[in-house]
Amino acid sequence: MSAADGPVRFDPSDFGTIPSSRALRSWMRTTRRQHADRSFWEIFEDVYLVLFTLAMVGATGGNVVRHLNSNAAGCTSSTCGQLTAWIPWIVLPLLLATTIRVLLAVGPVSASRATGFWLLATPVNRAALLRPAYRLVIASIAVIASIVGAVIWALLGAPWFDVFTAALFIGSLLVFAGLVTVWAQQTARRARWTLRVADLLLLAAVVPAVALALRPRPSPGITTANVIVSTFTGDAPRTQLGLRALSDADAVTSGQLSFLMVCAVLVAVCVVLAILVSQTLDRLGRVSVIAGGELLAGLAGAASSLDISMLGDVIASRHWRLKGRVRSRRGRGADGAAIVQREFHRILRWPRRIAVAFGLLVVPYAVHGAGFHVLVPIAAAIAGFIAVRPMLDGLRTACRSTGLVRALGWDLRELRVVMAVVPGLFTIVWAACAYPAIGSATSCFAVAAGVISGTVRQASARPPSYAGPLVTSPMGAIPPGLFSQPARGFDLLVLCLAPVLFNLNSLWVILIPTVVLMLMFAIRPKTG
Amino acid sequence: MSKKAAPRLAVTDLQHKYGDRPVIEGLTFTLRAGQAIALVGPNGAGKTTVLKCIVGAAEPAAGKILLDGQPIDERAEAVRRDVATLLDDLDFFPDLTAAEHLDLLARAHGNSSPEDLVDTTLHDIGLLPAADQLPGSLSSGQRRRLALATALVRPRKLMVLDEPEARLDTGGVQWLSDRLVEEKKAGTAILFASHDPALVETVADSVVTLTPLP
Repeated sequence: MSAADGPVRFDPSDFGTIPSSRALRSWMRTTRRQHADRSFWEIFEDVYLVLFTLAMVGATGGNVVRHLNSNAAGCTSSTCGQLTAWIPWIVLPLLLATTIRVLLAVGPVSASRATGFWLLATPVNRAALLRPAYRLVIASIAVIASIVGAVIWALLGAPWFDVFTAALFIGSLLVFAGLVTVWAQQTARRARWTLRVADLLLLAAVVPAVALALRPRPSPGITTANVIVSTFTGDAPRTQLGLRALSDADAVTSGQLSFLMVCAVLVAVCVVLAILVSQTLDRLGRVSVIAGGELLAGLAGAASSLDISMLGDVIASRHWRLKGRVRSRRGRGADGAAIVQREFHRILRWPRRIAVAFGLLVVPYAVHGAGFHVLVPIAAAIAGFIAVRPMLDGLRTACRSTGLVRALGWDLRELRVVMAVVPGLFTIVWAACAYPAIGSATSCFAVAAGVISGTVRQASARPPSYAGPLVTSPMGAIPPGLFSQPARGFDLLVLCLAPVLFNLNSLWVILIPTVVLMLMFAIRPKTG
Repeated sequence: MSKKAAPRLAVTDLQHKYGDRPVIEGLTFTLRAGQAIALVGPNGAGKTTVLKCIVGAAEPAAGKILLDGQPIDERAEAVRRDVATLLDDLDFFPDLTAAEHLDLLARAHGNSSPEDLVDTTLHDIGLLPAADQLPGSLSSGQRRRLALATALVRPRKLMVLDEPEARLDTGGVQWLSDRLVEEKKAGTAILFASHDPALVETVADSVVTLTPLP
């Protein structure tokens, strides 16, 4: 742009009809094309690569699911029957609760801060501006929910007709939940109530999980898919893996057809609701739309560095930003004791995390209750990892800030030990609570050692540095170790559990985790 | 302006809390067209919070905020058209230049050929040499100037500015001061928070002093 030749003052008459959202987007597209630094073919190559990768992953995954479906369908034990009878009642409310919580965390309709200021704050029709984002959200929910539903039912050994109807059912159910969240996003009060419903659904998922955990004897004659079908058709539950039998006979019952009709009606209802809700997008506040956009941008940044911990950081920092204020507590003691006490208070400050951590105890019990005794230690270890890792946020902050460590005046190795005390004690309590399910004290020790060493390793990992030497990859130049980032922490977990999984004698089950723990805390973590 | 006309902005008994801690209690003032009110007070007194409540970026716990006699709601088209804001919620499209940002904003407000207006504004605000720079290459002061420019390339009846003098050099603050006085003469109502006594002295017709609540 060139300098103005003469003074041009603001004149309100220059401002006429407000442009349409489409016209504005078209202007932005045209303007951006002028700055494009990649040719069409370069972009096409990237798209081709993505499509090819998706096709490969889809084909491989589909094949694996097909094999697992056939294996599961062939299982006639009472354990399989019990598992498949209970899982839908756990999965459905869990999926609904998760969908509602996740969607309300990111909006669900969201926009970047820049869009919020430069477009949403203008008189341009807000509903039209937000409609593309809204369509993307609803379409994504439909696709992801259908895939998730299909995979779960396929893994449970349901025949393909039922897998299809389950995908349709879950897809439309979660799309409905998505539409509810868009409606709820319009006022803070609605959002609060919808979150309460999600909490209730979570409780509804815990009830059958606890029942499954406490019920070692299977209930014969009930299968996964026909529980859902019979719920809606009124048919009595069929015999063990009855739906597979139906498939074998190549016959589709009237009950299945009725359920398909119900799903079709649900889809139609969702389409109508989606159109109605899209007319209300102008009621969305700019703040709620931008907040989700910021969270998504943070999560995308964390995902691009393959850093699982950073995903948690983004969510945690948002939580504390929204909370804004808590009551200050005075510390006690000095040196290490003061840090331990501060960590204890810090962990208590987010009670929901502690509740979730104890709630995760259901996992080893459920696996045990389902009869998969060999999988209990690994299930317990993964659940314990998820339970304990958030308690190490303090250590993570310290490890990522050399300035903070310097200010505290501690060596980072010693600081890591001190900051792991409270999470370590919690791990011991958690593992002790899981002991009846795990069934062996040595395995329990291995689980606890794996959890604490794994979580500490993940929390104290330094971020990938793009300042040092980079290696060439199809994704461009990346720092060495980027791809090992997601495995950090889980590697020690597996190492500690290896003797349990390989059924080695008790000496090894104690010795290997002990060595891992000692090495873990003896080595000084590297800092960025 | 007739004194009997409805005030452009009327704030009555405004309250806001962070958790259970009140930040603003019982704040009442009116602002007429062509007037300026400065919010002053120490850090944490709630100046930005008041501005956020007014532009809909924060939800007041109680109280009424009326724009031209109507409850203010940032979702309403009239509010988006008439209220120019400068808060700390500004971000930029990384692939649009400074000039293109202003061009976009003017077009979104219904100006189909805003080139001259954008050029003049860039010139006035001292950003013409940086017109073709992308936001990532602008200094913090330049970004602030660009943010200020956003309020000048669009229609406005009310300007809500949070510390508009922040990060501006001495000449920039003098320019801002003159510009806001011009805006008042043109009939724009201005509500701004500031820590600059000279700016407050020159621009504000009245001052609302906020103090941190215990």
